Amino acid sequence: MNHPASCGPVEIFLVEDNPGDVRLTREALKEGKIYHNLWVAKDGEEALAMLHRKGEYSDIPVPDIILLDLNLPRVDGRDVLARIKEEEELKMIPVVVLTSSEAEQDVLKAYNLHANCFVTKPVDLEQFMMVVRAIESFWLTIVKMPTRI
Amino acid sequence: MSQQAEGKPVDILLVDDNPGDIRLTREALQEGQVSSRLRVAYNGRDALALLRQAANDANMTLPDIIFLDLNLPGMNGLEILAEIKGDDRFRHIPVVVFSTSEDDRDICRAYEHSASCYVVKQSEVEKFTEVLKSLVRLLATGGQKGGQTGASTQEETGSGGN
Amino acid sequence: MLTKPDEPASRTSALPKSLSLGVLAVVFIAELLLMFLLPRLLPTADEVVVGIADSIVLTLVVSPFLCFFIYREASKRKSADEAMAERSRELARSNADLEQFAYAVSHDLREPLRMIRVFLELLGKRYEGKLDADADDFIAFAADGAARMQKQIADLLDYSRVGSSGIELSPLESGVALERALGDLRLALEESGAVVTHDLLPRVLADESQLVRLFQNLIGNAIKFRGNEPLTVHVGAAEREGVWVFSVRDNGIGIASEHFEKIFLLFKRIYSPSEYPGTGIGLAICKKIVEQHGGRIWVESEPGQGATFYFTLPVMGDSSS
Repeated sequence: MNHPASCGPVEIFLVEDNPGDVRLTREALKEGKIYHNLWVAKDGEEALAMLHRKGEYSDIPVPDIILLDLNLPRVDGRDVLARIKEEEELKMIPVVVLTSSEAEQDVLKAYNLHANCFVTKPVDLEQFMMVVRAIESFWLTIVKMPTRI
Repeated sequence: MSQQAEGKPVDILLVDDNPGDIRLTREALQEGQVSSRLRVAYNGRDALALLRQAANDANMTLPDIIFLDLNLPGMNGLEILAEIKGDDRFRHIPVVVFSTSEDDRDICRAYEHSASCYVVKQSEVEKFTEVLKSLVRLLATGGQKGGQTGASTQEETGSGGN
Repeated sequence: MLTKPDEPASRTSALPKSLSLGVLAVVFIAELLLMFLLPRLLPTADEVVVGIADSIVLTLVVSPFLCFFIYREASKRKSADEAMAERSRELARSNADLEQFAYAVSHDLREPLRMIRVFLELLGKRYEGKLDADADDFIAFAADGAARMQKQIADLLDYSRVGSSGIELSPLESGVALERALGDLRLALEESGAVVTHDLLPRVLADESQLVRLFQNLIGNAIKFRGNEPLTVHVGAAEREGVWVFSVRDNGIGIASEHFEKIFLLFKRIYSPSEYPGTGIGLAICKKIVEQHGGRIWVESEPGQGATFYFTLPVMGDSSS
């Protein structure tokens, strides 16, 4: 396991406007055996406010990993990604771009903006859950993530 | 979850000077039956030369994913990473950083330099094989992400060793 | 590898010296005053005057000796304090050197060891059954030895890192540290069906991550060495003689008294790895953590009767960190 013994739960941050997908992600993560907290933002603006810990969000922790849907209301997912990867305090947080888009331009654009990886959301329910768990297992147990300051 | 076209082996550029690790990677890809093409560069200079050439030459292809050892002679891993991410022609290629170090500072620095992810070098072949399969499945752009079919792994050595 | 905080040597011995001199001076002056005043106030108090004169003489005679003893004790204390401080500094230096050595060794040894392991494994897999049975055995032994060595090096590295970047003391709720340790042990606790209870735990001055680690190792051990009956663990704390004495009591397999000291040493195990997993470093780490906080750790147990691990932490308000 990545985390040093005394690190506590993994802080997972989901930016997703579709409540159904939010629920699915929550369930999939619960089934995995990893001790975590899930934070959800429903649009780009809320996501940025939470990441910058402004106002009512001043108490939430810096996430260990961000799952980001590209197509969001208010502030687009691509802009959120760009902002995250520009800012010193946020750029090292792994960002997994989750989206229904399969278009190659989107893939390239995401990687150009330094997304850590890009995953197309499957249409099938069971596949979706598997994907989320595969992402969780990959980022939380297979590779090393930067530790929170 | 894959957005790649079916059938193409994944094109991997491995930047590592340790012959044991290079051989291990080749064996693990074979064990895992990952359909792939493995190119090797022994140092940063050669890796960048290969990338620049592939970017300019219509007959050559850029790799779908780069495995970069942090501990290299000459240019160190982070410098190479910075160069790759600084060049518009190939900065979109996901770079997986490999290292024996589990030091938090090394991990953070790699992510700060826009590594896609950080992997600690494994001592168990089975685990390493699983890691490679996951990396290819989740990260590689273009080409098939390997997996169930095909075990065709060809190897070309990059522009000379050190 | 005891390290104690440096004590301000001069301050502790100056006080008794000046205090005792002051007291002597006051007594002397009081007696002089009485000697002159009493005859005027009480004309018939000749015996009293003589008595006071006697006591003044006595004081005059005794005081040089008293002064001498007081000074000597004070300077002995002072040089003992200085010696202690110097020894602490030396110990700290040699600890730092040892840690650096352990880190360098374990870090650099890992790479060649990895090559050995990886290719032994490939060899074993690729040629299993194709060479003779002896070859299979030899490869298996070699691979096993390499795996164990690697685990030990990893643990040595871990051990050398405990407190290597300094120890950050801050006031914290030990109960919260316990909760965090239990959170990290969640899976193991669920699988073993263990029930963990605790007293009201105090606020202490400690390094948070180290305290969590300490609890984690002790409770992890309780889980590992549990007996046949359902595991219960109780964490208590009692204040005794200026320190908090924490206890972690379990109803597991217990420990024979001849092992009480040994188990806190690096890599020393009672059982072989095939019986219980681990390289024997958990308690060595606990000991290092406790000693870095200036405390003590020990165990009381009987085979078959569970074990209670005790460790001390200073009561808050005492340490000048």
